[in-house]
Amino acid sequence: MDATGTPEADLRFTITIADTGETYACGPGQSLLDAMVALGRKGIPSGCHGGGCGVCKIKVANGTYETLTMSREHISAEEEAQGIVLACRTFPRSAIRLSVLGKMRKAVTQRRYGLV
Amino acid sequence: MGVMRIGHINLRVLDMAAALDHYQGVLGLIKTHEDDAGNVYLKGWDEWDKYSVMLTPSDRAGMNHIAYKVEADADLDVLKGRIQDYGVAVDDVPAGTLTACGRAIRFNMPSGHEMFLYAEKEFVGKSVGTTNPEPWPDGLKGIGAHWLDHALLMCELNPEAGINKVAETTDFLMKTMDFHLAEQVMVGPDGDIQAATWLFRTSTPHDIALVGGPKMGLHHCAFFLDEWNDVLKAADVMAKNKVKMDVTPQRHGITRGYTIYFFDPSGNRNETFAGLGYLAQPDMPPITWTEDNLWRGIFYHTGEEAGAFTSVYT
Repeated sequence: MDATGTPEADLRFTITIADTGETYACGPGQSLLDAMVALGRKGIPSGCHGGGCGVCKIKVANGTYETLTMSREHISAEEEAQGIVLACRTFPRSAIRLSVLGKMRKAVTQRRYGLV
Repeated sequence: MGVMRIGHINLRVLDMAAALDHYQGVLGLIKTHEDDAGNVYLKGWDEWDKYSVMLTPSDRAGMNHIAYKVEADADLDVLKGRIQDYGVAVDDVPAGTLTACGRAIRFNMPSGHEMFLYAEKEFVGKSVGTTNPEPWPDGLKGIGAHWLDHALLMCELNPEAGINKVAETTDFLMKTMDFHLAEQVMVGPDGDIQAATWLFRTSTPHDIALVGGPKMGLHHCAFFLDEWNDVLKAADVMAKNKVKMDVTPQRHGITRGYTIYFFDPSGNRNETFAGLGYLAQPDMPPITWTEDNLWRGIFYHTGEEAGAFTSVYT
C-alpha cells in the first residue's frame, strides 16, 4: 500500500514518449521497456532487456524512477546523473516524459555488405 | 594433438543473484564452485570437467575470455610456438591462474578477443557417472542443458576502411590451431568479402563462429540440447520464467541447427542449440552462403533478420 492507500498492484503511471507523443501505462514493478512491449507499443528500441546492450537508451525529461544496474559500457556515471538511462532497467515512481536516444542500427543505416 | 573443444566461457554479469537464477534455474546448469572474488563456476550435467561457464560480477555485460581445451600438455608448447610464429604475442599462465586448471597459454586473437588454451581441468564427472549410466539424471532444473557447445564472437568488419577481423581471425584459427572451415558467408559486389565463418575442431559444424559487425563483442554462447522437442520445451521454460527471447524456435540454414536465441538477465545472448547438424570432417568441402541468401542461412524458415541478430550484442 502506498501513502494514499492504493494497493501497489493497481498503481499505473502514464509514460509519454516525447518523440512520437505515444503514451502508455506502466506499473512500479515493470520496466519502462517491458511495459511498452507488453502493450504492443513502439518507440523505444527493444534489445536484450537486461541492461547490457544499450539500444533502449532514453533521457527522462520529467518524473521520478529507480534503476537496476546498467552497463557502464552504455551509460556513464555522468549520463546517469543527467537522467540518461536504459529503459529496460528503469522503473517509474511517477508519470514520466522521456525522449529516445538509442537507435536500432538496422532501421536507420544502409547495409552495403550484408551484415554491416 | 591440438585443440579438442570449447572449455569454458567467462561472462560478465551485472547482478549475480539474477544470473544464477537464470543459469541454474532456467538453463539447468550446476554450480560447482565460487571463489573469493565472487566468480561463480557452473557445468552442464553431461560435462565432466569442473566448469564450462564462469560468471564474473561486473558493471558491464559481455565476455572476458574464452578458453579451449587441448589434448595433451605438450600441445601447449607446440601451439605457443605456432601462434608466436604467426606474429601474435603469447603469455605463459601458471597452473591455477585459470581456476581449477593446469598451466595455460593466453593471447588475443586478431579480433581482439582474449583466448586461453589449457590441457587440464579438475575432473568432477557427469551427473550420471560412468558405470551403467542412466540416459539422463533426475532433479535437473529448467531446460537441463547438456553442455556449452560453442560461442559466436562479433569481429570488426568495415570493408571500406580495409578492416576485416572475421577473415583475419579465421585465417589465424586455421593456420595456428588447425580449425577447419565448415561454412562461410561471402558478401560485397564481387562476393569476395568473408563476413562470417563457422569453424570446427570436433566432428560438429562449429566450435566457434565469427560474424562481422561494427565492433568486437560477444554475440552468443550456446548450450546443447538433444532434439527439436527439447527446443520447444526449452522455449516453454523460458516463457514461464519470463526470459527475454530474441528469436523463438527455428532452424538455422547454416549448421542446420535448431535454435532459440534469448538473453541472460545482464543482456548476454544465449542460445539453446539442438541437433548435431552433420558430420564435420577435415576433408569436408566448406559450404558458402552468398549475400542474397545470407538470411536464409541464418534463419532458414523466414529468410529474413529476426529479433536483433546484428544490432544487439554485448
